[in-house]
Amino acid sequence: MPEPITAPAIELDGVSKAFGANKVLDDVSLTVRHGSIMVMLGPSGTGKSVLLRCLVGLLRPDAGRVLVYGEDVAALDESRPRDRARLFALRRRFGMLFQDGALFDDMDVGDNVAFPMRMHTDLSEAQIRAKVADKLRRVGLSGVERKAPSELSGGMRKRVAFARAIALEPDIVLCDEPSSGLDPVMSATLDELILELHRTLGMTFIVISHDTAEAKKIADTIGLLASGKLVTYGPAADVFAEGQPALRQFFERSTEGPIRVL
Amino acid sequence: MSFVWFVRHALVAQFSRLPPAEQFLRHAVDAGVGSVALLTLLIFFAGMSLAVQGYGAFVRMGGQEFLGLFCGIGGVRELFPVMAAIVCGARIGANLAASLANMQISEQIEALSVMGIDPMRYLVAPRLWAVVFTMPLLCAYADVVGLSASYFAAVVQLGVDQGTFSAQLREIIRWQDLAVGVGKGVAFGWLVAIIACYHGYRAAKQEGAAGVGVATNRAIVHSTVVCIVLNMILSAILYA
Repeated sequence: MPEPITAPAIELDGVSKAFGANKVLDDVSLTVRHGSIMVMLGPSGTGKSVLLRCLVGLLRPDAGRVLVYGEDVAALDESRPRDRARLFALRRRFGMLFQDGALFDDMDVGDNVAFPMRMHTDLSEAQIRAKVADKLRRVGLSGVERKAPSELSGGMRKRVAFARAIALEPDIVLCDEPSSGLDPVMSATLDELILELHRTLGMTFIVISHDTAEAKKIADTIGLLASGKLVTYGPAADVFAEGQPALRQFFERSTEGPIRVL
Repeated sequence: MSFVWFVRHALVAQFSRLPPAEQFLRHAVDAGVGSVALLTLLIFFAGMSLAVQGYGAFVRMGGQEFLGLFCGIGGVRELFPVMAAIVCGARIGANLAASLANMQISEQIEALSVMGIDPMRYLVAPRLWAVVFTMPLLCAYADVVGLSASYFAAVVQLGVDQGTFSAQLREIIRWQDLAVGVGKGVAFGWLVAIIACYHGYRAAKQEGAAGVGVATNRAIVHSTVVCIVLNMILSAILYA
């Protein structure tokens, strides 16, 4: 049964994570509604990717809870066999677009996109091929099934990775810097793709980015993470109206403000 | 990630269910067929060297008729299996470590995890089974090639009596020796594979391409040392 539109897909409650003395997430709490597009902004190295990895249990927070549709991922210990099985089952609700695509380089494009379906469904090979063609068409890459990942440009690799991330039509799609390394037109194309998939398939998107144009275009919820702290978070319209100084600095690309890089 | 943690999870993954057949076959063919040419070349020369060295030592005492015993004991019990493990271990281990390290630094292993696929089951278990299956075959093949080379050097090149050489081989090599060779192959294979997978799996993304080199280097060095030490321990237990 589909989740009601207002139900929380993800809830973070007091999440902290440190690597040695370096605290990358400091008491972060937020809620992502099912069916929304949440964009988390922030300077490089402020814990955005760590936050994403905590959501799928690739990293365990030192403190706090990470609820995915009510189940605490942070309580699952991957080294315990029972938790491991539960964690892997829970992860099937996610699709993830990695920063560099993370395509399997020993498979061609078609097999990359087909891979999650072959592993998790009983679909026939003909059905899988049809779905692969459909996903590739959605990302504007029809007919590239037999190409090797190494033959693709950066933008094409990212779109293939996107097709793979949505192959099982997951509840939640995580996008780690989808526009990094892409030209503005390709970035805009990916943004359109996210909006179209959100509209047609009703997926929840969590997008990690430092691209303010992208955030303005696609976000219905927006957050800003700086020095591990959630500086601001809420519906995009409210956050923009609030004019939080760090967010303003970020959008104005200014070196003057609360965010200090040097 | 500690080695103990990795071994524990690898064992669970290896024995909890059969590996994907396609993965197993791909790695078995790569490890086995891919090693045959190199192994044949090196073991053939090693077998000939063994006979030449033995002949040089025995002939001074007029004991060249014992060359068959020497090649049988030194070759089948020690030199050929351990050389097969080191030569194939280096080649196979380097392949495994490099491929897994590359997958780790390019986030392919994380991608598998996020898809809800256990990388231990999908990546590590088939590789372990493949090498455990092929290494004993390679050790047995090394025995055949090495002994043939020793025979060739002793009988054809050095003029040792063919009947005496063959009779001594039959005398000294028992079925147990061949079984021990195969058993050693299983142990060497598992150790080479687990060490290589461990080093490849723990490569850090931050290390970039250098991490692949480091993982490969460690896999070769550690598996070579472990195979030689294990061989010595087994020899001491079985033959001392």
